Amino acid sequence: MTTTAEPRVARRRPVRRTGAAVVRPGFVWAVPATLFFLIFAVLPLILVAVLSFASWDGISAPRFAGLDNWRTLIHDHVMIQSLWLSVLITVLGVVVQTPLSILLGVWAAGHQRNRAVLSAIYFVPLLLSATAVSILWRALLDPNFGVPAQAKWLFGDGNLFGRQTSAIGVLVFVGAWQYTPFHTLIYQGAARAIPQVLYQAAEIDGAGRVRQFWHITLPQLRNTMITSMILMVVGGLTTFDTVLILTQGGPGTDTTISAYYMYQRAFKSFDFGGGSAIALVLVLIATVISLIVVKVSGYDKMRGTTEGL
Amino acid sequence: MMKRVLLPRAVAGGVALVLGLSLAACGGSDSGSGGSGSFKVLVYGDASNKVEKQIVATFNKTSKVKAVLQTIPGADYQQKLQTIINTKQAPDVFFNWGGGSIQPFVKAGLLLPLNDMIAKDPRLKADFLPSVFNSAVVDGKPYGIPMRGTQPVLLFDNKKVLADAGVSEPKTWEDLLSAVKVLKAKHITPIALGGGDQWPTLMWYEYMYDRIAGPGLFDKAMSGDKSAWAAPESRTALSRLKELIDAGAFGSNYDSVKYTDGGSVALVAQGRAGFELMGSWYYSQQQQDNPDFAKTGLGYTSFPTVSGGAGDPKDIVGNTNNFYSVLKKTKYPDAVAQFLKLMYSDEFVKAHMAIGNLPTTTNTTNFLNTATDPAYAKYQYDLVKAAPSFQLSWDQAYPQSASEAMHTAVQQFFDGKLDADGFIKAMQALPTS
Repeated sequence: MTTTAEPRVARRRPVRRTGAAVVRPGFVWAVPATLFFLIFAVLPLILVAVLSFASWDGISAPRFAGLDNWRTLIHDHVMIQSLWLSVLITVLGVVVQTPLSILLGVWAAGHQRNRAVLSAIYFVPLLLSATAVSILWRALLDPNFGVPAQAKWLFGDGNLFGRQTSAIGVLVFVGAWQYTPFHTLIYQGAARAIPQVLYQAAEIDGAGRVRQFWHITLPQLRNTMITSMILMVVGGLTTFDTVLILTQGGPGTDTTISAYYMYQRAFKSFDFGGGSAIALVLVLIATVISLIVVKVSGYDKMRGTTEGL
Repeated sequence: MMKRVLLPRAVAGGVALVLGLSLAACGGSDSGSGGSGSFKVLVYGDASNKVEKQIVATFNKTSKVKAVLQTIPGADYQQKLQTIINTKQAPDVFFNWGGGSIQPFVKAGLLLPLNDMIAKDPRLKADFLPSVFNSAVVDGKPYGIPMRGTQPVLLFDNKKVLADAGVSEPKTWEDLLSAVKVLKAKHITPIALGGGDQWPTLMWYEYMYDRIAGPGLFDKAMSGDKSAWAAPESRTALSRLKELIDAGAFGSNYDSVKYTDGGSVALVAQGRAGFELMGSWYYSQQQQDNPDFAKTGLGYTSFPTVSGGAGDPKDIVGNTNNFYSVLKKTKYPDAVAQFLKLMYSDEFVKAHMAIGNLPTTTNTTNFLNTATDPAYAKYQYDLVKAAPSFQLSWDQAYPQSASEAMHTAVQQFFDGKLDADGFIKAMQALPTS
């Protein structure tokens, strides 16, 4: 008799618990994250906005300068060029990295042992810091003592950092070398999550490997592609360390992208007001681009890819 | 749900950029060593640090207040200094180039005028060559004590490469052009140039303008008269440089080569280039990277004369010396004064001589023979003594805020992306104060 009473109590409790979980968590839970966001994101942003209306060399007290920084910025052809370069490097990064990481990711999703070993090796570049990677490639691409000196048929005189096209090419290549493994990992996970029944059904219908890839794998990876591309866009627009170490914005100002130009103005020319104005422009542009990507890709009303399964 | 999460995230992504600005400013180090009884000495990191380490060790042997040496490697020295100089991480004593490099700090009232120290110990001024000591005098007050060797820019060469090609060290511009032609025909890069660093390229302008127009043109431009850059002498200097570039003197990939990572240094040492124009510290760099070559294979001469130029062929360009300046807020001014006294000591002079630097103290002449290469020391000493004008490097003479734009213009003219008019315009746009 006692045994029948106990389950009754036990049964009631879980019911109450699930009922409580439906209630939205209180604002208190968001306090830590909100505080961090305010202190480390909103506050600096406001300070930078204020600084963009001032003239400050970093030593003496800042002086209010009105719209001076903004006026020079609008007429600064290096600034306008730097925006285009940022966009170009971002677009090239997406175009190069996406197909590579999809192919590698889908390939690595197989459960064969050799694939597991190789994908572990592919992952290594991601573990290195961008600075170390840049220094490594700077040395490897030295025109007299690096790879170009041994492969003249491919690199000619090896003046990779002395021309705009090849300097941009190096930046895109090094970026891809470092970040493709990360996106490969994302695609690997996503590809493994595709239900096997879809492939089994396709096989019965007589679809080959290639058709399966185009008609099942790719559509199923749609949401992953959007995620990965947004990460690439944010990463591309904020590219900095590779430029700092590989090209220093050169030759001339040919690879001076906005983030590097901001650094140059603030920390090399000691014009922190002008640097802040550039930073603010970058924030605005990154926000607008993110919003566009969200709208165009339908990320805001993302649909499941397993409906009806 | 997704939308709500993503929007702040997109903003946050952008904000990360801004954060970079504020965080970088906090990047101090060694805050622990700043405790009681020590002061920080901040120095540009390169081969000469050997001597700074030795001097600091000597000082610490007898002093109760210890000196702590910190080095910042290579080209980012000035940036790091400027970001920390008005913070808690600021050093007590720091390396600089005198002149324009400390002017903003003096204006902001951060530096200690050394008058009192000199009054207590007159040798802090009297034991240094006046022309050098005076480069760190700002608004009539001394702010720096010379702490390394004088650094005139010389034309270095690989003796074996020149001998094999049957070329001798060039005396005139025409000699240099014909040497370039001979070396090029032998598939050797005639002149190594670390164009990726940009400032090595600038040295060619400094000498060319001095040889063609004399030191007056640059002084005029520095005083604010921007028409100086458009003078006919300026155009002549540019066309002469163009002549050299077009002759293939620097090869075609110099913008991918750097001096700071040892690229151009190795080219000369391995006999793959004939010449390199560089400051006198090149000797200690070669000694560190390629000791055998520095001993037997490294030749040097002054910049060739240019016929028809107004400048004295004995003029030199470069850095007069480096200096130690002292921050006003240092807790140990007396200990720092004791430390600075070592800069005219015999030990200091001998240690610098041993790595090929040439100190500018009055007792330097006593030790010319103790240098590892007495001939090199004597050559430099005579060169500096005889020079009617010693032009400070342009990027040190101009305010720091000008150096980025100057370097860009210098590189773009060498690349052919700017013509003479474009270069003149860029130089005229530089701030002079």
